[in-house]
Amino acid sequence: MSKAARGSGGLAWALVGPTLLLLIAFNVFPLVYNVVSSFTNAELIGGDSRWVGGAQYTRVFDDDLFGGALRRTALFVVCAVAVEMLLGFVLALSLQREFRGKQAVLTALLVPMMLSPAVMGLFWNLVLNGNYGIVNHALAALGFDPPQWLTDRDLKFWSILMIDVWMWTPFMMLISLAGLSSIPTSIYEAAQIDRASAWKVFTRITLPMCGPVLGLAVLFRATDALKQFDLVMAVTGPNDGATQTLSTLLYQVVFRDGKVGLGAAFSCVILVVVIALATVFTRYIDRVQARDGV
Amino acid sequence: MSFLELEQLEKTWPDGTRAVRAVDLSLERGEFVVLLGPSGCGKTTTLRMIAGLEQPTAGRIVLDGREVTHLPASERDIGMVFQFYALYPHLSVAENIAFPLECTGVAKSERLAVARRLAEQLELTHLLDRRPRGLSGGDQQRVALARAMARKPAAWLMDEPLGTLDASRRADMCEFIRAQQLEHSVATVYVTHDQEEAMRLADRVVVMSAGAVLQVGPPHEVYDEPADLFVARFVGSPGMNLLDAETSSADGGAVLRPRGCEVQLALTQSIGAGAVILGARPEYVRLDPRGDLRGRVVLDAFMGSHRYVHVDAPCGRLVALQPAHASVANGDEVRLSIDPKGLRIFDPQSGRRLA
Repeated sequence: MSKAARGSGGLAWALVGPTLLLLIAFNVFPLVYNVVSSFTNAELIGGDSRWVGGAQYTRVFDDDLFGGALRRTALFVVCAVAVEMLLGFVLALSLQREFRGKQAVLTALLVPMMLSPAVMGLFWNLVLNGNYGIVNHALAALGFDPPQWLTDRDLKFWSILMIDVWMWTPFMMLISLAGLSSIPTSIYEAAQIDRASAWKVFTRITLPMCGPVLGLAVLFRATDALKQFDLVMAVTGPNDGATQTLSTLLYQVVFRDGKVGLGAAFSCVILVVVIALATVFTRYIDRVQARDGV
Repeated sequence: MSFLELEQLEKTWPDGTRAVRAVDLSLERGEFVVLLGPSGCGKTTTLRMIAGLEQPTAGRIVLDGREVTHLPASERDIGMVFQFYALYPHLSVAENIAFPLECTGVAKSERLAVARRLAEQLELTHLLDRRPRGLSGGDQQRVALARAMARKPAAWLMDEPLGTLDASRRADMCEFIRAQQLEHSVATVYVTHDQEEAMRLADRVVVMSAGAVLQVGPPHEVYDEPADLFVARFVGSPGMNLLDAETSSADGGAVLRPRGCEVQLALTQSIGAGAVILGARPEYVRLDPRGDLRGRVVLDAFMGSHRYVHVDAPCGRLVALQPAHASVANGDEVRLSIDPKGLRIFDPQSGRRLA
């Protein structure tokens, strides 16, 4: 920091202060409060709370529900992000060239992304309803045995996953398109001159040059999918053993069971997991960027 | 049949613009041809059609005895250097140079050996593991050149490869490119708008304007015997002096009177009487105390080995080549003479050369 910058401390604080206050009020204080709460037996209703040390954390790791929700969330993140990335990238590839009505197709593809997840949950509730949903109606008309999308224990998790894919594939497509269009035409021309086959161009040029952008998209989507809440809430509610994710488990513990202390411990553990994952991701992206300077 | 042959090559863009009109050109093996012209004259489009990056609207391209007009770029045997290099940013310099070999299935150790050998020739060895982004323009240029050479293609195409370099680097690179081309004896088509670069490099220069070829010839011919007014103006720096003049026939030739000056120039060839445009390169115009042309100095440009004196005469602006030591002052009244050997006569309507 230069002398001049250090000298005008008053102005510096005036500029940074408001943001700092907001950060403390809405980020730092809740975090600290949460950490403190996690060492108490605070309840949502009933005032007395008492210091219980690490007891809540022991309960978290002993809790069957926690392990299940963690595994389910991980499965959800991996499957959702992988499928969305793959479909989005393939869509982007097929939308790369110009054709009539491209704008209309693009707009139509972006609609799911722009709707509220809660509304989407309710909407798909109707579409996939076992008795009067349009999907089962169509399946029955075609002579198939219609499955119970939203109530079958083995199926409802995958139904939610499918809705998430439907919602977020357009996002992946959009970012993939941006990545694809950032590759200059002259690079493809050079590859043509160098006699690269279509496969070679794809694997040696298109993919690696899109890589950093796609990595970023995966990071965005993974952190988002990790928090999966709205769709589960709208489709099955928070306390369904087959679909419970970390977020909905947390909701169940704190707001339905009223166990604030336990919930706080839960969220601290989740926070550590998320930070660990995010660090791995950002390290990866930093490395790619340092290498390619993209 | 020549090694590379363009026959009546045409390119019309979808909006109806005729970018390239009926271009005929043939190159021998090992010949260096420069397409020269201002931007938008169709030289790059012509080059891209030879490369296969652009489809001709009409005409034929024959390379090494094989018609390639409608073959994709990947099926022609060509190496190309792009204007902005078009190096693969995510690959190392070595991988960039070896990429054409990788595409034709050469084993890794073998293609990296070729890359190393080329890098040594082009003084890139210390950069082999770097990525293109951090390299200087000249280094990127040499990497692009090495990549174009790697597969030993039948022809090299270069699209203003020195356009982004500063002047001092450009002269070095010109020399370097020419030396490489001579060593490998590869038919080369090189596009530039810089006439000095064209002169320096070419076996033959192709001057283009508005999509058409105006003149094809060795540099000295294009310079000394321009086919029309455009070539006379575009080639040479400064370009040819051009004055409006009247001709009348005289014994065994013609007499020229530049419009506005009380002076007569004798011509040994006979041309019809009437209005013409008279041209003379600066080296045929000199300050001469006994000269008939009078004018006033407006600029004395020192060039190191020589100087260009710009003189305003009643019949127009003339530039005279002078020895470096013979300085004059702005505003000096001077007399000029024009060496009749250097006179070139053009038709004012068509611009074509008359004599």
